[in-house]
Amino acid sequence: MTSRPASERRTILVTGGTGTLGAELVSRLARGSHASVVVLTRGTARPRPAVPPNVQMLTGDVRCGPTFGLDSSDAATLREHITDIVHCVADTTFNRPLAEARATNVAGTQAVLAFAKECQHLERMACFSTVYVAGRTTGCFAEQDVGGADGFVNSYEQSKAEMEAVVRDAMRELPIAIYRLSTIIGDSRTGEVTGLNAIHHALRLLYQGLAPMVPGQETGLVDLIPVDFAAKASHYLFEHEFSPGATCHLCAGAAGSATLGALLDATMTAFERYRPAWRKRSIARPAIVELETYELFVRSVEEAGNQVLLQATRAVQAFACQLAYPKVFDNRHAGVVLARAGIAAPNVLEYYDRVVRWCVEKNWGTAS
Amino acid sequence: MTRVGIDALTYYLPAYAPTLSELEALGALRGPASTLAGFGFERARVAESESHVDMAMHAVRALLSETDTSPDEINLVLYAGALTSSSTMECSPAPAGSVLRLRDFMDFFKYPVSQLQSELDLSNASVAGIDQQGCAAIFSSVRLARATLLAEPDVHTVLCVSADRLPHGASREVVYNLVSDGACAMLMRREPKRNRIVATHQVTKGAFWDSGSLENEIIAAYFPTARTVIEDTLRKAGVTLDDIRWVIPHNVSLRSWEILLGLIGCPREKLFSANIGRVGHTIAADNFINLRDAADAGLLHPGDLLLLFTFGYGLNWSCMVLEH
Repeated sequence: MTSRPASERRTILVTGGTGTLGAELVSRLARGSHASVVVLTRGTARPRPAVPPNVQMLTGDVRCGPTFGLDSSDAATLREHITDIVHCVADTTFNRPLAEARATNVAGTQAVLAFAKECQHLERMACFSTVYVAGRTTGCFAEQDVGGADGFVNSYEQSKAEMEAVVRDAMRELPIAIYRLSTIIGDSRTGEVTGLNAIHHALRLLYQGLAPMVPGQETGLVDLIPVDFAAKASHYLFEHEFSPGATCHLCAGAAGSATLGALLDATMTAFERYRPAWRKRSIARPAIVELETYELFVRSVEEAGNQVLLQATRAVQAFACQLAYPKVFDNRHAGVVLARAGIAAPNVLEYYDRVVRWCVEKNWGTAS
Repeated sequence: MTRVGIDALTYYLPAYAPTLSELEALGALRGPASTLAGFGFERARVAESESHVDMAMHAVRALLSETDTSPDEINLVLYAGALTSSSTMECSPAPAGSVLRLRDFMDFFKYPVSQLQSELDLSNASVAGIDQQGCAAIFSSVRLARATLLAEPDVHTVLCVSADRLPHGASREVVYNLVSDGACAMLMRREPKRNRIVATHQVTKGAFWDSGSLENEIIAAYFPTARTVIEDTLRKAGVTLDDIRWVIPHNVSLRSWEILLGLIGCPREKLFSANIGRVGHTIAADNFINLRDAADAGLLHPGDLLLLFTFGYGLNWSCMVLEH
């Protein structure tokens, strides 16, 4: 790889640039630098507001291999110009069959890495991962830790841990940093949710009175972050404090997290506040139970063959079991760097109410 | 302070006890018998010729006989029923297509408790019906009996009775539980020899009144509210689960009890579960059938603290702590 001539502009390839985080990041990259931004998109994402003039949308798919399904000459041209890669593409569905999760998260990343190795002017590359590569680990999980020693709760975690292994291997040849994200739940300023995930589905089940229990501990911390923090922090690290070989936790940490009990209380309070009629439904706060009890309930629902509850429990199960493995994500490295720039994750209870309000008032995105 | 409790109790169960397989063959289950077997059920008790009033009278006669109690000693009868049909008399033969087995509107004024008072010559007793709380009705009758005994000096003995039978041909499976017919009867007095009531507690959530269309929501609501009600009852009683010697259940599925025990952090060994399989869920009499059988089995000792919990449509969660 050779450095680009100083006169030439940077060209940043963003995969997954239309997703929840990717869209925010593209906006910041386009605004905050004089670079050209190329967004690789499968073309199936929902319409987005008009893109800035220095953003080019390119239809392609990382699952198609190192050319992303582009015409070979287009792929060659892209390789010629790319100076930066921000790899956001991920299959974040928690309960996807492992092979399907791997197809995007592992094989897709391998394709991006193979592409990157052919980019003559590549200067930096960011790969987004999840703090939940920690899997079933309990206690403190640090940025330098490699997860999975105790297994994983779902295929998403496992496939992202496998992705990290692939990325770390490529770090010997490429200037890559890994940014591990906590669970993104919405915009801290507006509460808007641009991509529903398992947390929002669980909130809806709770609202409907179909979530009798969650595994975990009343005082166990739940790490959640808003999308604006995730975008601002990762943009800053990538643009101003890029450190090849580093792994950074973009999470709330102990200071920014709330207990599971407090989050459930806040959820019930928000439901009552923003939908007063909901109170009349007398829906109880879900019981927080040991994993063994929760799994017995799930098994009973399966044996009973109750399809509604089966779907509900499966939707919750994929992530909820993680709550039974209490842990704190240590973000010492990224936290110090970001603090110097005045960037820190807000405590979830400062904005959680707004997110729940958005879910209720927008009926989880189905209301206009 | 005056102590009130259940001085004596007995029950009646029909002799006919078909197995799950037999019930399945009769078309009396909604789902496969294997599901209910996996949840801890074995057989149901099914009334053949007996009406619910017949079962109530069987139980009360046995109670008066066992305790050598004169009918004249009874000052108040509280007659509980889970099913709406238990508050009416059954016509025989039943009109075609009738669930309540009524012929005309005057049948609404024929009350089982009045017939029971008359047939058993309980001439010193006034009567009242307790219903509209599903399987929690008998708990309410115990609660009201206690309150009456504490409030009215001239009431010395209250007879609490409960009897329910499903209509002929009805499914024996309700929300993954196997339903039996049966009755129980209790004598409640001040300064009882046993079963002093330490605390009672009930929570009603009328939002779930339409039970038929809210089955999934009811299943989901059951567990967290059950835990809260049990914990609040223990708090009222000034005791903890560690102080409880036995949990005397309503005979819903053993599986649901295992889950609930997990929720409240109670060892499985404390659950008196012997009757769930062999008796099934007798709607409104379970806890007291089990209390009697646990006592007869020599499992209960003076001073033992017992936790009784039940749940009824309506929805109602009821719980009490007794000191045996």
